[in-house]
Amino acid sequence: MKPMDSAYEERCRQLTRQLLDSLDGALAALVCRADGIEIAQAQRRPVDVARLAAVASSLGALGDAASREAGIGSPRCVLVDSSMGRLLVRCVGQGEQAVIVALLTDAQMVLGQVWAQLRQAETLLTGSPA
Amino acid sequence: MDLKIVFTGTPGAGKTTAIAALSDVVPMSTDVANTDASLHKATTTVGMDYGHVDLDDGFRVRLFGTPGQERFAFMWRILAQQALGLVILIDNSRPAPLDDLRLYLDHFAELLPALPCAVGVGRTLECPLPTLDDFADALADRGLALPVLAVDVRQRDDVLMLVETVIAQAEAGATPT
Repeated sequence: MKPMDSAYEERCRQLTRQLLDSLDGALAALVCRADGIEIAQAQRRPVDVARLAAVASSLGALGDAASREAGIGSPRCVLVDSSMGRLLVRCVGQGEQAVIVALLTDAQMVLGQVWAQLRQAETLLTGSPA
Repeated sequence: MDLKIVFTGTPGAGKTTAIAALSDVVPMSTDVANTDASLHKATTTVGMDYGHVDLDDGFRVRLFGTPGQERFAFMWRILAQQALGLVILIDNSRPAPLDDLRLYLDHFAELLPALPCAVGVGRTLECPLPTLDDFADALADRGLALPVLAVDVRQRDDVLMLVETVIAQAEAGATPT
């Protein structure tokens, strides 16, 4: 596996902790490479991070493909809205620098809050506003 | 009439390439940068590939490609739903191609007794071992009698041969013994 810059990995760890700390309804947060290998994670509820990372990368790539096929630009987020919670997947960066940020929340989480936090997450990881 | 055929198999075996070689339309792909240096490739599929081809006999074959890595096995099961048949692509230049085949046989074990399937083995010129007979023996060990073909997935005719083999099995109602 190609090594990732340690400062960047630390930013990813900081980001996952920040997401959990700032959102009461957040159950787990993870950052993984675009090909589904986890980089950093934080969780309040036990989740199988390796499996969630693989699913998140597929969702991110499918969201990208769906946006392309539909001609609606670049995807900002893929939302899985389920009866007992939500999974949000955001693609950050491009090419070899692309990563996926995934956030698992309870069903009561206010989506506007999550969007704002995920935008901040992108700024933290890329150094530029989303 | 529409048919669905799923291409699965080892990372780097050429699932994306095979679909691109045969599809009448520009395929939809979900390739991203590969960060696993052991795979020796720049990009890898993490969601699915899609293309389709219209055959002379009026069939439109919808071609779905899976990711190769086992961590994406959940996509294998999703994509195999309602499939007419399955193509398993094996890269003979990998360290243990027979074990690679067994991995996919294990994951599709529940479906294979009723799912027409062909095995395509690539890079057999550079890596002649294991032989096609060895693959047939590995299948026989599981009680399966499936066609095993040497293929170059960059060649449209080779990929078409795999698809037509699967369709022929389905038409004959052939099930593995």
